[in-house]
Amino acid sequence: MTELLVKNAHVIDPLSGINGETMDIAIRDGKIVEEVSAAADVIDARGMLTMPGGIDSHTHICGTKVNFGRYMSPEDMRAGRTPRRGPMHATSGYSVPTTYGNSYRYSVMGYTTLLEGAMAPLEARHTHEEFAYTPLQDTMANTLFDGNWSIMEAIRDGDVKRVAAIIAWMLTAVKGFAVKLTNPGGTEAWQWGKNVSCIRDPVPYFEVTPAEIIRSAIEANELLHLPHSVHLHCNNLGTPGNYTCTLGSMGLVPDLNPKRQTLYATHVQFHAYGGSGWKDFSSKSEPIANLVNMRPQIVMDMGQVMFGRTTTMTADGPMEFNLYRLHHEKWSNHDVELETGSGIIPVIYRRKNLVNSIMWAIGLELALLTKSPWQCLLTTDNPNGAPFVKYPEIIGLLMSRRYRDAEFAKVHPDTGSRVPLPAIDREMDWYEIAVMTRAGQARALGIQDLGKGHLAPGADADVAIYPIRIDEVDPSAEFQKVIDGFSRTEYTIKRGRVVARRGECVVHGSNATIWVRPKVSENYDMGKDPDFVEKFDRYYTVRMSNYPVQENYLSRSRCIETETEL
Amino acid sequence: MMRVTLAMKPMGGWSIPIEAESIVPVNFLSGTDLSVWRGNRELGIEEAFSVLVEGDADRAEDVEVVLSGETARLKRVGEYMGAGKITVLGDIGMHCGNFMSGGMIEIQGNADGWLGREMAGGSIICRGNAADYCASGYRGGRKGMTGGSVEVFGRAGDFLAENLAGGTVVVHGDAGDMPGAEMRGGTLIIHGDCRRPAANMKNGACYVYGTARWMLPTFRKVGTAQQDGRTLIQFTGDVANRGKGNLFVGNYEYLD
Repeated sequence: MTELLVKNAHVIDPLSGINGETMDIAIRDGKIVEEVSAAADVIDARGMLTMPGGIDSHTHICGTKVNFGRYMSPEDMRAGRTPRRGPMHATSGYSVPTTYGNSYRYSVMGYTTLLEGAMAPLEARHTHEEFAYTPLQDTMANTLFDGNWSIMEAIRDGDVKRVAAIIAWMLTAVKGFAVKLTNPGGTEAWQWGKNVSCIRDPVPYFEVTPAEIIRSAIEANELLHLPHSVHLHCNNLGTPGNYTCTLGSMGLVPDLNPKRQTLYATHVQFHAYGGSGWKDFSSKSEPIANLVNMRPQIVMDMGQVMFGRTTTMTADGPMEFNLYRLHHEKWSNHDVELETGSGIIPVIYRRKNLVNSIMWAIGLELALLTKSPWQCLLTTDNPNGAPFVKYPEIIGLLMSRRYRDAEFAKVHPDTGSRVPLPAIDREMDWYEIAVMTRAGQARALGIQDLGKGHLAPGADADVAIYPIRIDEVDPSAEFQKVIDGFSRTEYTIKRGRVVARRGECVVHGSNATIWVRPKVSENYDMGKDPDFVEKFDRYYTVRMSNYPVQENYLSRSRCIETETEL
Repeated sequence: MMRVTLAMKPMGGWSIPIEAESIVPVNFLSGTDLSVWRGNRELGIEEAFSVLVEGDADRAEDVEVVLSGETARLKRVGEYMGAGKITVLGDIGMHCGNFMSGGMIEIQGNADGWLGREMAGGSIICRGNAADYCASGYRGGRKGMTGGSVEVFGRAGDFLAENLAGGTVVVHGDAGDMPGAEMRGGTLIIHGDCRRPAANMKNGACYVYGTARWMLPTFRKVGTAQQDGRTLIQFTGDVANRGKGNLFVGNYEYLD
């Protein structure tokens, strides 16, 4: 039995309804408990800001695509080099660091749970292998269903239960966590050298539309009672004028689940563009935020862009090809048979570039114009908008109008006429930041019952203690203190152990992977479905029996079994 | 003037190269308390060299470092050098003059790979041959050498001046495969022959006085031009990269 007592913590824990109380947190065997014995180790938090461990609900850190980003950009490995130190391995890389680099840097910022944003089912093993080397965070993986042949055929036949059954089989097979749709239909169209421009364009051959894919996936998701909702990367990413497509996609979503949203729209900054071309490119954050304010069934994340060098990577192959035609730099494109694809391009976002400046403003506007912080979570779509190490700066920008104005003065001079940002006065408070970086994520991902994102007794003892005294710091004026504080925890506690202390990781750690097994009846077991089996034998390059990821790929397996309507 | 003579001691059976990024003229202004690395072992400079300091100087411009002995496996000499002179009496190991911005390096013998990688200024003279990636960029980087000059009197290996973005590179002998690949500026002159010059070039000028073998088909012939009293055939390209570079060759042969 190991016991730990965190004394005099100044706690913000939105899911437990705690907003700034000085209290003690008792931990036994990796869980929060009511009290511990006098023999417990004691950490004196001395009134420092204490929150549940951070959760990133959309980041690209592990898997084939990330690793190909590493292959493509050996120059990225020249940045961020740290030597081996204590239990820490050597790391390198900035926008696509080594797995240990990701894990240590997240841990130092107080993050304890990560969702890999896109895992191609066929290549799931790679993701799980890298998870095992991301030891200081619990991990889960969005599983890509945007261009799945069997699913599109089931949608064409109007059989939502079959869609659900295929999702259930796939998630179980690849140890995935949630349903991800990346440019639904578009990546399959790309295999025909085409794309879909919005939700009403049919996918070649399959003759289903993105709207049908989105709606069927949402219905199937709810039939399976999955913890997370459908996780959608809308069609038409990065195109001027794409906000109408985003509004149209959001308009498709019914309110089907009382516990959480019905649709999680990711990196919405990339989907909130006005204008008819790059010349009249502008922000359309207002109509998007207005719609989200009226629809509690939608949660989005920012996908904030920050200036500097980074790598864009997505399953949205055709979008990356368009980006390649703009930049004419190195580009990779990848096809995942029967399932999806991907593309990667390194980019530099520049303040001097008007389009980049507008993109920077849009992310902030989405967060500031969305009334409820539970509906707009903080991300950069790491590393697409910026590497996650920029999160503290984004927190600073959200909390301080003065900091925003100072940064706004440095961007392209024409930005002011294209974006509403200068007119927004809102400054977020500590509680709202706590929602946007952990509590909101836990609720949106449906993992609060697993003990994530809060500090009530029974929860996982994942705690972040930041060296900030919130009654002494005025975030509006002293934004630099906010940035420094969120960049480096005093203590990061994971599963009841101190894992990071003032910028140093102090244990090797061991991650748990959270995945989902929907329980379906015999009739809906796709492993025994003759058509599905035949499709596998005929078209896949692997045998069906070799396809599932064995459980021993998971260093600690946390399986969520769901009761379904199948 | 200060003259520092570093006579390398016999390697004593060690085959691991020595990394000596500390051997830069400016460092000797504050004495010879420097170290080099052999694998993961740090060595005092006196352990690896017999050190002799003559004269005195208070600026790096007045310091000359002379290296002798078995220096063929001595790496990173002159890295980030800004001023002064380094003379190598024999051969030098890889990465000599990385990121150099000023001063001069003269190598009497041959240079191993990556001579003058990503250099920004100053000059390097190699009296012998240079191995692969002479005056080039580095893996994945967008810009290689941006300024200064490299002159090789012998032959150069493959990927000479890869990613060249500025400055001048002159090779008096032949060059290997892919000289000037991904060039985006600067001038590359090869007096001898080479293979597949200026692939994917964006801008800049590449001269091959001898024969360009395996000439790439993605260059458009423009006409002839005079250079150094020679008549050269002028091409522009690389068309595949929407390039606006100029490639001048004495003769060329396409791959059959």
